[in-house]
Amino acid sequence: MTPLGGPRDRHPWLVAVVMVLVCLLLTAASTAAASRADASTERRLLQGQSRQAAAVLSAAVQLIQEPLRTALGVERVTGDSGDTSAFRHLMTSYVQDNQTFVSASLWKRTGSTMTRLVNVGVPPSFTSGSSATAAFLRGAFATPTFTVRTAQVGNRVRLGYAQGDRASGMVVYAERLLPADRSSPVAKDSAFADLHYAIYLGDRADDTTLSTTDAPLDSLPLRGRTARTTIPFGDTNLIMITSARHHLGAPLSRNLPWILLLGGLLITAAAGLTAFQLVRGRQRAEQSILTAADLYAQVETLYDEQRALAVRLQRALLPHVNPDIPGLDIASEYVAGAIGVDIGGDWYSIIGLDEDHFGFVVGDVSGHGVDAVAVMAHARFTLRAYLLDGKSPAEALEKCSYQFDITLDGHMTTALVGLGNQRTGEITLATAGHPRPLRINGEDSSFISVPTGPPLGTGPTPYRSTTVQLAPGEVFFAFTDGLVERRNEDIDTGLDRLVSTLREGGTQSVAGMVDHALASLRHAHAPDDIAVLAFRWGGPSSPAAATASTARSVERIELPANEAAPRQARAFINERMSDPDPDSGPGADEVVLVVSELVTNAVRAGARSIELTLGVDGEKVEVVVSDDASGWPTPRVAATEDLGGRGLTIVDQLTTSWSATATEAGKSVRATWAETEDQE
Amino acid sequence: MESDMADFVQAERPDGRPTLVASGEVDIAVVDDLLAAARTTLDRASDVLEVDLAGVTFIDSSGLGALVQIRNLAAERDLRVSLARVPRSVQRIIDLTGLDSIFSGDPDA
Repeated sequence: MTPLGGPRDRHPWLVAVVMVLVCLLLTAASTAAASRADASTERRLLQGQSRQAAAVLSAAVQLIQEPLRTALGVERVTGDSGDTSAFRHLMTSYVQDNQTFVSASLWKRTGSTMTRLVNVGVPPSFTSGSSATAAFLRGAFATPTFTVRTAQVGNRVRLGYAQGDRASGMVVYAERLLPADRSSPVAKDSAFADLHYAIYLGDRADDTTLSTTDAPLDSLPLRGRTARTTIPFGDTNLIMITSARHHLGAPLSRNLPWILLLGGLLITAAAGLTAFQLVRGRQRAEQSILTAADLYAQVETLYDEQRALAVRLQRALLPHVNPDIPGLDIASEYVAGAIGVDIGGDWYSIIGLDEDHFGFVVGDVSGHGVDAVAVMAHARFTLRAYLLDGKSPAEALEKCSYQFDITLDGHMTTALVGLGNQRTGEITLATAGHPRPLRINGEDSSFISVPTGPPLGTGPTPYRSTTVQLAPGEVFFAFTDGLVERRNEDIDTGLDRLVSTLREGGTQSVAGMVDHALASLRHAHAPDDIAVLAFRWGGPSSPAAATASTARSVERIELPANEAAPRQARAFINERMSDPDPDSGPGADEVVLVVSELVTNAVRAGARSIELTLGVDGEKVEVVVSDDASGWPTPRVAATEDLGGRGLTIVDQLTTSWSATATEAGKSVRATWAETEDQE
Repeated sequence: MESDMADFVQAERPDGRPTLVASGEVDIAVVDDLLAAARTTLDRASDVLEVDLAGVTFIDSSGLGALVQIRNLAAERDLRVSLARVPRSVQRIIDLTGLDSIFSGDPDA
């Protein structure tokens, strides 16, 4: 496992962190934006409400100025008559309730002094004769509105207003009492309902200029978001500072920043968690990939080793040099499957048995690898041993088949087994599910029809053989299916291709023929391996035939197709083998008994014609019983109580070998006795 | 070779037991005759049917099958079959086929 922490591995964490940061940033930005929007809304609403309040305040100022102006108007009409009753009458209504004014007085300019003509309510808060008073009152002539002053009387503050009429030299002066604590609660339905306010007189807003407020004095000046409005008030100004009592806008506008903050944080947390899990998942997957890659590498190594072993085994098991068999020109080849594909279980084998006979096998074990090669070795040496032991091809296959079990081995083994006579050119063939061999004579080639038997290890089934006679110079060509099979192709197409390829090759050496076939037919990427075995029979005049010549007598007899046949057959044998040498070759009684059994079988099988051939060649004896019946000799182990089933047991025990061969008409069963030393 | 033709004669031993005397070549051609003779002899047997093979010059698996059938027929009647005076050539085939285990005869010395 590669340790984590390289740039490639850290990268995902970086992505996760950046992702979380971006989420936080977005949250903060949206929260701030919402907050700013809310503040802006609040400010706008506060200013709006403050303007309304200012309007109300302006109206109140008019309320103060109106009585003063009215009183001045009255004095202008009455003129200098000195009658002050109209003024007294007018102002009494404003003073008596102490609501608007506590004191109202009328003054007249006389030179540089101001003389009080009349006073209503309490006396004004300044002395009549002082020059400061005269200066203040004269100031009223300089403004079209009024002048304002404050005066401390006891612990109460009074506001004084003076409005003058320059033409008549008259000034009306009134004082208004401010609340003791300067506080003036607001009505709930007034313009001030949502506001705290503090009203200052003059151009500064501080404790000394405070006029009225609804807030406790110690909470001034108003803090937080405030609005400042200036209202003209006589010859000076009122400054109104306002702040909101509570949030003025919609509740959502106030809560939106918090909602956005909370939501943003939640989303950030979720995104962070998801990113974390994704990164963890990816790291786990990377670790898994590393582990899997390691395993693949190990398997690859094991596979290579196994393949190398299988190749070595295969090479070791195949013959390096074919035996030198007189009269035969032999060629063979094994080709492994395409590179990268495992070794297979195809094989070929050819051996000389005695001076006349040779045996050969071409086989194919399905599957690949050491297992297939092991099964191949087993099949190859087993068949070879039976052939060396003098068994016929059919017998060899049957006995070999008992030693295999396709359900246990897991490999299907097919084999073509042949027993040839290099002197006569006769070849006996039996097959266990193997492709048919070819016979090639010049430009003519044809497949040899061999009775098909099942693959080895598929159960106790007897195999049938066929015997063909090669013409001098004819080539026998056996192969495994790798030579003709191609993916997605009918097998017949491959067989046709083989025939035409061999025809193209024309008459050449057997080795050249094999080379040509492999070069032409082997597919570049063929997965299957190929084994080919071919030989040309030189003909009976070859040196092999000359050296192998021995006295040989062959006699034939046609037997009646009835129950008398066995008796006639026995008589025939007894006459020809009247003087058996007890020390060499089989006794006549053995041959008689075997012939009796074989002919009896033919009769029982319902044959309509039975022919017996006896061949004696020195110590070797061969009998052949041919018939036209369809039955097939099947040896079985008879129970002691069984009535039949012993015939072939006797044949099997008394002969060196026996075999049945399919013929055009029916079958022919051959029993042979080899030399003395081969017998028990 | 008339002398080799098979022949089956029903005979009687000195002790009164029925005996089937076979001779000649016993093969597929004569098994029906052998079985017919055996059935007749079995009718007269009380405990053991003796088959005298001294005159048999040849027997093959068909003849052996007939002998097994005779034994099976006897067994149905709770009878026993005894092979008597078995020639060496016949005994050899009996041994070869494993039938010596069911035929306890006294071989012809």
